[in-house]
Amino acid sequence: MSKHAVIVDYIRTPFTKAFDPGNDSGKRGALAHIRPDDMVAELIAGLMERNAQVNPKDIETVLTGCAFPEAEQGFNVARIALMKAKLPDSVGGVTMNRFCGSSMHAIHDAAAHIAAGAGDVFLCTGVESMSRIPMGGWTPLPNPSLIARRPEAYVSMGLTAENVANKFKISRTAQDAFALASHRKAEAARLAGNFRHEIVPLFHAPHIRMDDNLRADSTVEMLAKLKPAFKAAGSVTAATSSPITDGASAVLVVSEDYAKAHGLKPMAKIIGFSGSGCAPEIMGMGPVEASRKALARAGITVRDLDVIELNEAFAAQALACIGQLQLDPAKVNRDGGAIALGHPLGASGARITGKAAQILQREEGRFALATMCIGGGQGVATVLERYVP
Amino acid sequence: MRGFLTKIANMFFGSGKTNAAPAPVTPPVSAPAAAKTPEKPAIRKAAVIGAGVMGSGIAAQLANAGIDVVLLDKFPGAADKAIERMLKATPATDPMNAGLMHRDHARRISTGTTDDHMYKIADADWIVEVVPEILPIKHATFKAIDEHRKPGSIVSSNTSTIPLSQLAEGMSEGFKKDFLITHFFNPVRFMDLLEIVAGPETRPEVVETMKAVCDIDLGKKVVVAQDTPGFIANRIGTFLIQRAMAETIDKNLKIEAVDAALGVAVGFPKDGVFGLMDIVGLDLGPKVTQSLQKSLPESDAFQNLMRPVPTLDRLIAEGKTGRKSKTKEGFYRMVPDAEGKKTRQVIDLATGAYRNADKVNFESAKLGRKGLRAVMEHGDEGSQIAWNVLRDTLAYAAGLTEEMGGDIAAVDTAMRAGYNWKNGPFAMIDKMGTAWFAQKLADSGMSVPPILQAAKGRKLFTLDDKGNAAQMTLSGDYAPVTRPAGILDLADVKRTSQPVSANNSASLWDLGDGVLGVELHGMKNTLDPDSIGMLNESVDTVLESGGKYKALVICNADKNFAVGANLGLAARVMNMGQWDMMDDILGDGQQAMQRLKFAPFPVVGAVSGLALGGGCEILLHCDAIQAHAESYIGLVETGVGIVPGWGGCKEYLLRAQDAYGDKGPMFFVRKTFEAIMLPNLSTSTSAHTAKSNLFLRAEDGISMNRDRLLADAKAKALSMVDGYTPPQPRTLRLPGPEGKAALSMALDDFYAKGDATWHDIRVAEMLTTVLTGDDTDHMKPLSETDILRLERQAFLTLAKTAQTRARIQFTVNNGRPLREAPLVRPVTTAELRATLPAHTPKAREIVLTQKTDAPAPAASAAAMPDVKGMKPMEAVITILKKDGWLPAAPMQDAKLSAAFNDAAQKTKQGTLERMNKNKGMAGLLPSEKVREEILKGFEGSIAKAEGKIPATQDAEEKARLQASMAVMAHYRDVVRELKF
Repeated sequence: MSKHAVIVDYIRTPFTKAFDPGNDSGKRGALAHIRPDDMVAELIAGLMERNAQVNPKDIETVLTGCAFPEAEQGFNVARIALMKAKLPDSVGGVTMNRFCGSSMHAIHDAAAHIAAGAGDVFLCTGVESMSRIPMGGWTPLPNPSLIARRPEAYVSMGLTAENVANKFKISRTAQDAFALASHRKAEAARLAGNFRHEIVPLFHAPHIRMDDNLRADSTVEMLAKLKPAFKAAGSVTAATSSPITDGASAVLVVSEDYAKAHGLKPMAKIIGFSGSGCAPEIMGMGPVEASRKALARAGITVRDLDVIELNEAFAAQALACIGQLQLDPAKVNRDGGAIALGHPLGASGARITGKAAQILQREEGRFALATMCIGGGQGVATVLERYVP
Repeated sequence: MRGFLTKIANMFFGSGKTNAAPAPVTPPVSAPAAAKTPEKPAIRKAAVIGAGVMGSGIAAQLANAGIDVVLLDKFPGAADKAIERMLKATPATDPMNAGLMHRDHARRISTGTTDDHMYKIADADWIVEVVPEILPIKHATFKAIDEHRKPGSIVSSNTSTIPLSQLAEGMSEGFKKDFLITHFFNPVRFMDLLEIVAGPETRPEVVETMKAVCDIDLGKKVVVAQDTPGFIANRIGTFLIQRAMAETIDKNLKIEAVDAALGVAVGFPKDGVFGLMDIVGLDLGPKVTQSLQKSLPESDAFQNLMRPVPTLDRLIAEGKTGRKSKTKEGFYRMVPDAEGKKTRQVIDLATGAYRNADKVNFESAKLGRKGLRAVMEHGDEGSQIAWNVLRDTLAYAAGLTEEMGGDIAAVDTAMRAGYNWKNGPFAMIDKMGTAWFAQKLADSGMSVPPILQAAKGRKLFTLDDKGNAAQMTLSGDYAPVTRPAGILDLADVKRTSQPVSANNSASLWDLGDGVLGVELHGMKNTLDPDSIGMLNESVDTVLESGGKYKALVICNADKNFAVGANLGLAARVMNMGQWDMMDDILGDGQQAMQRLKFAPFPVVGAVSGLALGGGCEILLHCDAIQAHAESYIGLVETGVGIVPGWGGCKEYLLRAQDAYGDKGPMFFVRKTFEAIMLPNLSTSTSAHTAKSNLFLRAEDGISMNRDRLLADAKAKALSMVDGYTPPQPRTLRLPGPEGKAALSMALDDFYAKGDATWHDIRVAEMLTTVLTGDDTDHMKPLSETDILRLERQAFLTLAKTAQTRARIQFTVNNGRPLREAPLVRPVTTAELRATLPAHTPKAREIVLTQKTDAPAPAASAAAMPDVKGMKPMEAVITILKKDGWLPAAPMQDAKLSAAFNDAAQKTKQGTLERMNKNKGMAGLLPSEKVREEILKGFEGSIAKAEGKIPATQDAEEKARLQASMAVMAHYRDVVRELKF
């Protein structure tokens, strides 16, 4: 790469349970009243405030990952948000959709632009208000002729997890234990203040300062009681799936030169990235191929990794990927994963990439991998190296 | 789409239970049929002091009526908790707390405490006190109310035990003028009775206003009572309970025997006296009883009934107060045995121990149809219990005539509406015969009450020479029975006129002022081809009346508007494989609905109770609806494995398109899919929720009082006559295969999860085919006819499946829906879809001609009566009766069988063998030959009987012959109409 992209900062909104019209208990939808484009706008403003050295006019593009870019997150949400955030009109806005991988793809896009010399400053954001826009969107009209040929093209996510659990023999007990560990790690991270630096309360919900999916009081016994959520006699439960969540995240990506010139303190350097496809009915295995490619491009191996962020769409697929890639479980998702924190589809990619950079700094490791699976059968992966000035 | 189909269970007929109070038998009355509803008095804001079950129930009913309410309680948070409790309850799960007809009505209730928020009552027009029945508390509350209320506001107490004279004692003169008692019954929403008691100083306008508000706005049957202990209903109702208790203790009877004797056989609620106490709560009775004991004079017959009941005291002390208590124990309890099967146990009043309840079958209790006197005269144990208790209770009630102001019709109304008696005490005496009853009293050494002496053997209720209702008075003269203006009772119309036209399932009545009424009265409130025929005829009648009729009102005088199609009939047609006939039934229905919709005059539906399936479809096609507030409307067809086939899908789609069409081509289709596929979630729990669920339009009217429904509907129809233009045919833009694919994806997930059975998916798939317009595209407009055709195809496709027929047969036999095991077959949804017709025109043609996909279902075969060994025609009768085609008429059975057997012997076909082999109608009805023979048999028998008549001298024998001729002629017509 001719020019290196570095990650300078990472912030996000609290991740909160999405409103469920069928379960109107008042305990869900803490951020449902906030428009997703407003969430992104606030994060843009937050990044600019924390990184005052960046001249807004230098921003090439605001990239916003979003899996169902319609309604309040439609109309090219990136451009809408940057206008709301009062960035100069000269800044471009691009909405990116790679489902769950959307905002990680935004980071890849920024890195590629920087490498090509096509810009120095990129705001890579992601958002999903799953309260306001349901999974599948308001007007799902799948293509019947594709279904006739490949019925698995639109297969529901829960069933892919069941397929993975079946194929890779991931037991219910293992899934429950993995989910419980995710909550325990997230709770420990919360107590250690590890989220304090990344979570930005929103203007219209200033009292919400922490994610609300986290269940510190869960026990193995409680999880064991849950019924399968997607398949009769299946093994995947609501507790071993990532919850439907509202939230947004943002990562500031600049060229190494720009960081140096403006006195920014980068967290990590992007040294490899990739995207790949896999069979849609086992979409959870997407990270395997994507990670192998990205690691190879970075010229390192799994053994070199100190920090791994593997998005927990489902415990089953996370465990299967850990097994296939032979990852060290101790290095995976040290601050907890999506099962405990939530998974606002478009926002998760920027969250785990930013989180990987953050932990690299904290743990003073050298290499990190952030990777995730994507509905419809894809994977994306990013390899980072801790930035040492 | 949570929960999906698993919750459908118990939907189909289940919600019938929610309608707590059966429609009372209103005595014929003298008010003119077309009287105007009196002008509504202005109660815009009300206050309720006391947020217990009664207080919050009254507040909810006020909110239901559109009145803003302040609900205050002594304890902070109590009012809010009461509202929370009501928001959680539904009529089916918790009728005691289901006071709110719509959750939004809770917003009309503002809350607070009596210590801090009494100022909120300052602008209330009516303040209801519902605090504990303790005089000093009442007085303190009244003082506080008087301090804060505005001048001229009405104050009422909901006391059930304290006389008005004591309540008003020591209050200001102004207060006394504005004060009266309004005694509601629990649950306030569902109990129709309201007793009003005015004091000597109460302004007459206050009484008139309350009568009108409680009648029109709150929907109650208002009875004006005197200021006597217990007023009317509790005085007599408690007497009955105590009398039954005394009988049980004195004679050491079994509780279940007493309940069996004092149940439906004598016109009391089916649970009997003790069973009913278990339902309302054992702890409620003693309070009223003790208060009556205290306030009634020593000489009152009530005082002789007091018995110490240590077992009851203990039950109450232990909190075993009946079904609502924590342990769900009372006089009865259900105990699961080792296999989990529940056994009913009953307490022994003497020993206080539970034991297994006996199954009591009194001969006398089966005589209810023959009249009350037959039950009383039978003489078995049940008859004796019933007589002893009823004799004293009715004599007691009759003896109170003077004390209660002489209005015996009001007493009867109070007992029907307040205690759910089928007949009031005076109507019961009439049924036994006043002379007979008086004589029996005299024989027992009891004094004959003055009203019975005055009657001198005449009936207590009669009609005057103009056909108006009249009641006996103490002077021995008849006086008119009065009732509020603005009530149009179909019974009056029926009594004073002939139907314009009538068949077995519906009649046309001239409702006056140019309005023609269709009265649906099919078997058990179902719809059948006769009902449809009459709907068609009603349109013709108006069109051909030369301007005599200007509008049409469709109604049902019974409890329910219509519970859906006659499934027994449908099952029969399906099991016979008569698909052409089924298609005709669908087509005729669709045509009738379209004619109602596009008729050049207004058509108004007057709905009350259940309007399910076909009943709902009629309403969807009306130009306007006047709904009783307690209307339960829904499209429930999927529960029995079919889809709405009389335009229900089409009309709901149109409404959803109007409501949600701006949200793209898919959203309103999804909404329609949910409404039809999840009937337990979408069937309305009141007329108000029916508006939210699109079964009613925002502008449709709601009558709180069932008695006023027909008059209101008629007024609505007349208001639409001037300048009426019928609606234009509409078009729909449906999403086609893409939309179907989207819904199928959701279905796949439900199936995988085990929430939907294999057949649920088939039903849902056929429904989505209709709702998405099959192979259309959302750029292309579809006509109403296009959707109707799809409805018929989907209906027939499903009707041809064994599972749908099994579901229907099961519902016919058991009155509840059949649920297949969650995963009937280990097939994938893709394989399943392959069994359904594809999106090709050719495939659609096949639907109408294809054969059933399986032999008659097991459930159906098992449900068929065992006809093995019977003569063929006997078997025919048995099966026809089982299917509900022939009324059960035991007297004529022998004669009919003989006629059938005659015919059968002449039948050369081996019918019997074939029938025994198949045990179903499909094999039973092979040829027109059988029909001919049966008809010949009938004709012969009729002729024979006819021949005998001239020679018969005995008048009774003559009448019997004529009756049997009529019955055979009816059966002959039925057989002639049957499509074999």
